[in-house]
Amino acid sequence: MRKTALRKIIIIPVYNEEENIESTVESIQKNALDFDYIIINDCSTDRTRKICEENGFNVINLPINLGIGGAVQTGYRYAYEQGYDVAVQVDGDGQHDPKFLEKMAEYLKENDVDMVIGSRFIEKKGFQSSAARRIGISFFSILIKILTGKKITDPTSGLRMVGRNVMDIFSKDYPRDYPEPESVVAILRRNLKVKEIPVIMHERAGGVSSISFKNSVYYMIKVTFAILIERIRKY
Amino acid sequence: MMDIKIQLIIGVIVVSALAVIVNMIRKKRLELRYALAWLLVGISILILDCFPYLINWLAEQFGIADPVNMLFFLGFCFSLMIIFVLTVAVSRMSIRIKQMAQEIALHEKG
Repeated sequence: MRKTALRKIIIIPVYNEEENIESTVESIQKNALDFDYIIINDCSTDRTRKICEENGFNVINLPINLGIGGAVQTGYRYAYEQGYDVAVQVDGDGQHDPKFLEKMAEYLKENDVDMVIGSRFIEKKGFQSSAARRIGISFFSILIKILTGKKITDPTSGLRMVGRNVMDIFSKDYPRDYPEPESVVAILRRNLKVKEIPVIMHERAGGVSSISFKNSVYYMIKVTFAILIERIRKY
Repeated sequence: MMDIKIQLIIGVIVVSALAVIVNMIRKKRLELRYALAWLLVGISILILDCFPYLINWLAEQFGIADPVNMLFFLGFCFSLMIIFVLTVAVSRMSIRIKQMAQEIALHEKG
């Protein structure tokens, strides 16, 4: 593969991100010049759609709310059908810094891996999330280590870059809600290569996280079951 | 005290049901999101079935003479709960389908 020939796209799933969407796209246009982008508006109820259309952003508006998994999968389908070689998921809330995308793309290509995850916990710099969340994340990390033998320090990271083969897999089959840890295990189970590189994440600039305290119990139970069942799937 | 016979029967039924559910999720014919309640109910009934003194204690608190009836009563309550949750899910889905049909129709009109 030649360096210049790679077509790369950023998938930005958004739900009610009127406060952040403009700065997210600006930051991409400033810091990730080689990348195209597609915003997947998951039927936001605020002004997200209007802001995207007024600014002429490249956006897909979903007619009903599909949840994060369905929205991201729409992005992977778009990327796959449009013939992109590399797709990366960047959250629309300003947590992910587009500065790291070029580094991730180089790593993906040079090391010939199938998925590169941006991890907060390798260098332990930047926003480290709350203590409770870190405990949950390391629980999943240990569970994945036991079940697949692979070490993933940040299995909940939404900053993931994939090549065409994984794009194809994800566009056909992607978990509906809280998809990150489960889909990493699905890729590992197919004996594809997943690597992490250190990134610095920010605290979200505005809006609210999709995982409230009320949902966190459901989150832990659901993702645990999902990972366990993923382990006994055959590919 | 619960009879060992009924304990065994309940145990076998619940374990086979759980196996069927897990297998269906594995083959992606069942979405984990909706199957989760069934898994949790199955596991709780299994726990109660394995440790009958929990059931005895609960039955005493509720004033139920035969502990096995406590198990049946709990199963009944769980089932009602799941059915209700499913009714909510169906309502939500019918709203979403309507919304989507309208969206497609409006699109076609241009």
